[in-house]
Amino acid sequence: MTVLRLAWRNVWRNVRRTGLTVAATVFAVFLVVVFVAMADGIHSKMIEDAVRIQSGHVQLAGRGFLENRTLETNLEWTPDLEATVRDTPGIRAWAPRVDSAALLSLGESTQGVMLVGVDPAREAGLSTLAERVDHGTFLPAGTARAIVLGDQLAKNLGARIGDRILVFSMAYTLENAYDLFTLTGTMHLPDPAFERSFAVVRIDDLQAFLAFGDRVSEIALLADSASQVPAIEDALAAHPLGAAGIEVNAWDDVMPDLAQFIVIDNAGMYIILFILVVVVAFGILNTILMSVMERQREFGAMLALGLRPRRIFQMVYAESMLLAGVGLAIGLGLALPTVWFLGQHPIPLGGEELAAVAGLVGMEPVVTFEMRPTTLPGAALTIALVAALAALYPALKASRARPVDALRSL
Amino acid sequence: MNRRFAPVSVLLAFAALLAGWPAGAEPDPELDPPPPGLTAREVADRVEQVFRGDTTYIDATMIIRSPRLPEPRAVRFRSWDDRSGKRSFIRIVSPPKDKGMTFLKLHPNLWNYIPRVERTVRIPPSMMLQSWMGSDFSNDDLVRESSQLDDYDHRWLGVDPSPAHPESERAYRIEYIPREDAPVVWGRIVAAIDVARMVPLWQAYYDEDGTKMRMLRYADFAIEGRPFPLTWVMTPLDKEGHETRVEVHEIRFDEPLDDRLFTKRAMSRPVR
Repeated sequence: MTVLRLAWRNVWRNVRRTGLTVAATVFAVFLVVVFVAMADGIHSKMIEDAVRIQSGHVQLAGRGFLENRTLETNLEWTPDLEATVRDTPGIRAWAPRVDSAALLSLGESTQGVMLVGVDPAREAGLSTLAERVDHGTFLPAGTARAIVLGDQLAKNLGARIGDRILVFSMAYTLENAYDLFTLTGTMHLPDPAFERSFAVVRIDDLQAFLAFGDRVSEIALLADSASQVPAIEDALAAHPLGAAGIEVNAWDDVMPDLAQFIVIDNAGMYIILFILVVVVAFGILNTILMSVMERQREFGAMLALGLRPRRIFQMVYAESMLLAGVGLAIGLGLALPTVWFLGQHPIPLGGEELAAVAGLVGMEPVVTFEMRPTTLPGAALTIALVAALAALYPALKASRARPVDALRSL
Repeated sequence: MNRRFAPVSVLLAFAALLAGWPAGAEPDPELDPPPPGLTAREVADRVEQVFRGDTTYIDATMIIRSPRLPEPRAVRFRSWDDRSGKRSFIRIVSPPKDKGMTFLKLHPNLWNYIPRVERTVRIPPSMMLQSWMGSDFSNDDLVRESSQLDDYDHRWLGVDPSPAHPESERAYRIEYIPREDAPVVWGRIVAAIDVARMVPLWQAYYDEDGTKMRMLRYADFAIEGRPFPLTWVMTPLDKEGHETRVEVHEIRFDEPLDDRLFTKRAMSRPVR
């Protein structure tokens, strides 16, 4: 206890030096927490956007869907299957979809697209498709063979609301399928590549158009939260679905590009954070070492008076840990409300250029923050550990002072 | 010797191994060596001549088999091809649902006229690999967007002393390797060509990873005038139970073709 009190006094003997060291630690803790929260927030939003529009958290599909998405990999949406989905805990919403490729033509312009058939009532609980319509309406019930296009796709086709667009594809029966669909709305999508090539129609229209019967390509399932995905996947995989030729895919199997992007992005961030933490470690090392060098006489005197070297080691080490601890406490105290505030108020990225860059990686131009339960203890533990390592050398150096030399120096 | 270059060559060799080369360059032990004085390109050139006169008219039926179809589907079409003008015209004759559909190729564009909705659609380059009329042939096969002479380098594999084909006793085996800037989707094509009549027996299409993707077999060589395969069978190897067979009813070479045929207006004209 005496050692700790001594250390505390020693720390405040040089207020300016202590202040600077604490400031460096605060800065590092703050940056680590805010950076990790920002990356997690952005990634969660990307996953959320992609999951809601594309795969769902978990997807039921015909066997072979992942390797080769054709009309051949389909499944029958039976009451039995629907009951299975309903009885699986953790599933918030589900929607059947038909995926196909088609050619859209209007006047002189032709575009190859991904044509998806959806059930608007079911999608309302799952996807954000209807909310993304910024011109016209989303597949109104009154319009026979309604179609909704990505904003950019409609622009490239030169299509306006009410235009009759020729949709051309190959039916399940390998016959030519062609019909006119009426454009009822256009929608904004987070990924520009997607917005150029995405078209939605009602699922029953598409089933009739493709002579697809009651088959569907996939059932998209939305989990209560992303963390329940493995449990849902396991529960469904344990069910005798496999015998019916159905595969259960989690979102990261369906969109491996996105999953990989997040892994690589995280790796890059952790390297930068590691460098930051190392710099802070050297800051602490430098401050303590300087103070140890200045206080050689003091240590010599203490040793001469009979203090054990172990005590000196403990004292100097405690000084370092106090510095780090104070910095850590203030840093976390600042980061926590900041992240909480930013979590409530995402930062919009202004300017077309930034928005375009964001679009390249498939995100909307807004920076969101999310604090995971592991972020705070993780950051605190890392900084504490690094500080504990950095403090070893100065403390050893102080405890090894030889009284005669030390008293003579300075 | 400069020893610093050693790691580079080791790296290169390793890269070559990774790229699957020279695995493909190994001579097939069952093949005889190629004849001296005949280049692989000359063989490819002769094959090309079999398929295309200056102009070619074909009347044929395409029979599509698939697990999706309770019974095979037949599509009858007529095609006019003008080799030097790089243009061709195809008219669907049956089934009734597709009757009157026409395709016009004016290099490098492909149009499709659909009579039921009275619209002409230009097929974009991105759709060139899509199936043509539900068959195992693609739009690219139809218009031969890529030229087997200009877009490939040709290499001898050898001479097959006993090709498994009832109409051939000896067959040349050559390999088509796409040139770097060519608009080709295949990694390579291996072809067998009958020695006596210089007609193609089969072509195997490999993707860029070296996986065999599809097989096109030719048979029933008509002898009158010039040899030409009257039966073509395309089998995709990645889709079980699929097959497309083309049976040629009539073929005429080097007849003059009317320029007015190769216009967008001709596409919507009813059959003469």
